[in-house]
Amino acid sequence: MSTVPILETRGLGRRFGALDAVSDVSFSVNQGEILGVIGPNGAGKSTFINLVTGHIKPTSGQVLIDGKDMTGQAPWDIARAGVARTFQIVKPFNGMTVRQNIAVGIMYESHGTNRLSVALEQAEAILEEVGLGGSGDRMPGELSTADIRRLEFAKALATKPRLLLLDEVMAGLRPTEIEPSLELIRTLKARGTTVIVVEHVMKAIVAVSDRVLVLAQGKVLMQGGAHEVLADPRVIEVYLGHRYAKRQKGNA
Amino acid sequence: MTTMNKGIQGLKGKGSQRTMLEGALVLIVIALALVIRTKLPGGELRAVSTIFMFIALSQAWNIIGGFTGYASFGQVVFFGMGGYFTAVVMLKFHFSFWLALPLAGVFAAVFAALIGQPLLKLKGHYFAIATLGVAEGMREVVINLPDLTGGGAGISVPIAGTFAKTQYLGDAGFYLLFLGLALFAVGIGTLVSRNKFGYGLRAIHQNEDAAAAVGINTVRSKVMAYSLSAFITGVVGASYVFQQVTIFPERLFDVEITVLMIMMVVIGGSGTVVGPLLGAIGLQFISEYLREHFTNVHTFILSAIIILAVILIPQGAVNYFREGRRTKDYSLLANIRRYRL
Repeated sequence: MSTVPILETRGLGRRFGALDAVSDVSFSVNQGEILGVIGPNGAGKSTFINLVTGHIKPTSGQVLIDGKDMTGQAPWDIARAGVARTFQIVKPFNGMTVRQNIAVGIMYESHGTNRLSVALEQAEAILEEVGLGGSGDRMPGELSTADIRRLEFAKALATKPRLLLLDEVMAGLRPTEIEPSLELIRTLKARGTTVIVVEHVMKAIVAVSDRVLVLAQGKVLMQGGAHEVLADPRVIEVYLGHRYAKRQKGNA
Repeated sequence: MTTMNKGIQGLKGKGSQRTMLEGALVLIVIALALVIRTKLPGGELRAVSTIFMFIALSQAWNIIGGFTGYASFGQVVFFGMGGYFTAVVMLKFHFSFWLALPLAGVFAAVFAALIGQPLLKLKGHYFAIATLGVAEGMREVVINLPDLTGGGAGISVPIAGTFAKTQYLGDAGFYLLFLGLALFAVGIGTLVSRNKFGYGLRAIHQNEDAAAAVGINTVRSKVMAYSLSAFITGVVGASYVFQQVTIFPERLFDVEITVLMIMMVVIGGSGTVVGPLLGAIGLQFISEYLREHFTNVHTFILSAIIILAVILIPQGAVNYFREGRRTKDYSLLANIRRYRL
């Protein structure tokens, strides 16, 4: 395994007018690692993902992929470097069937086939993997919330990523629906894929993360093991307020 | 696994069967078109040539407006520029028409690539208005360059005598030329609808952020789509100019030509190949029929038909029937509810 982290950010920041949505975020992820990212609403989690994937240009800092400076590169260049993502607000290609949605990503992957017929065949395996087998001919508009999230997941997998950023793919799912997603993340890890999981579902974060990064008000609050992070008074404070944190301390 | 393999084989079998069927259909249409050519009198030949012309134009518009979702309201600029390019190089530089024709397409495509860089950053109405502005502006430019373009007084292509490198083609000749352009445009449309590039365009149409996230260079794809669309429009404009011989800026940059392209695509079914094809044939037929039988009110009736079509089947005829077959629901009321409410 290489010693160069697959993704590293140095002092990454984005300012919107007077608001620092994300500021001075420095961290790195190694290949094969699963990093959980948590933080209260408005902590800058989605902005952070957008900065890494080039959907938003940073106003400060650097993004390095495999040690190479990719700061400010276009999203398609980042994608072709092996980084895929899902969107918190799902963005299916509505005018196409589910199978065609996947075929697009397969064809545009840098080593992928250019032939539509081949891509449509290959899409089947990805649909099976995320639990959408048999839904290939349906339109995205006909899918349930859970299936739409699976489609979003599958679209990202279609580009055969080495680094996958999941922006709340489990939001709104029932506990029984979450388990297969977790299983899939573990399978990806076993294959050597690096995954960054942004989630509000703490159970999911605890279940799969090797390491957890906590964002609050656009800054890194702390990072460490899942249990260690969730027990930290600073983390409890940003989530539940300082009075609750104090009371917890008093009880301990 | 076995059922999956069977399913895929079934898919393949259906695919090649479909291609053969389509091939046969195209051959039949070409044969029919060639037979019709020997039977029709000159006036009718010109009318059918016009239908061919609009088939090519609507296919061209469909690439940028239908597949990519960028409603180019100034598409006629490429028609006019291809046309004026041809007139100028044939008159001033004594080019043969057959050399001017592809160059006119390239000229329009290069211009599209240049204006596409800034314009394709705009979305929705903004893009539509900006392209309309380009077309209107270009007409004024042509009017104000009388030494080169003849200005408002028009310009004539040499079609006979020693100055003419290419002799006038005549009704039967132009019939073949426009038939060829229509086949070329439908061929390009079919290719785009079934390849990687076309799927990239569709993805851009649905959501540009998501398209970029799966590795599609959205800027390059959009500019390429715009240029391809301009190329086809440009060669059609070039052919139109040669057919008309004497041309004027008002006609070559007429908004009505753009509007017709859009109506044909939208009513037929945008983002499909068959839709614009049927739209062009249908609208042109109805328009001609009304002109002949209801001379005084034909535009009024035509407008009413267009308005009704847009209200009842806003997604276009082809998409309406495809959805109807899928959902087994052809109710117009349900259709309005789905798309309007």
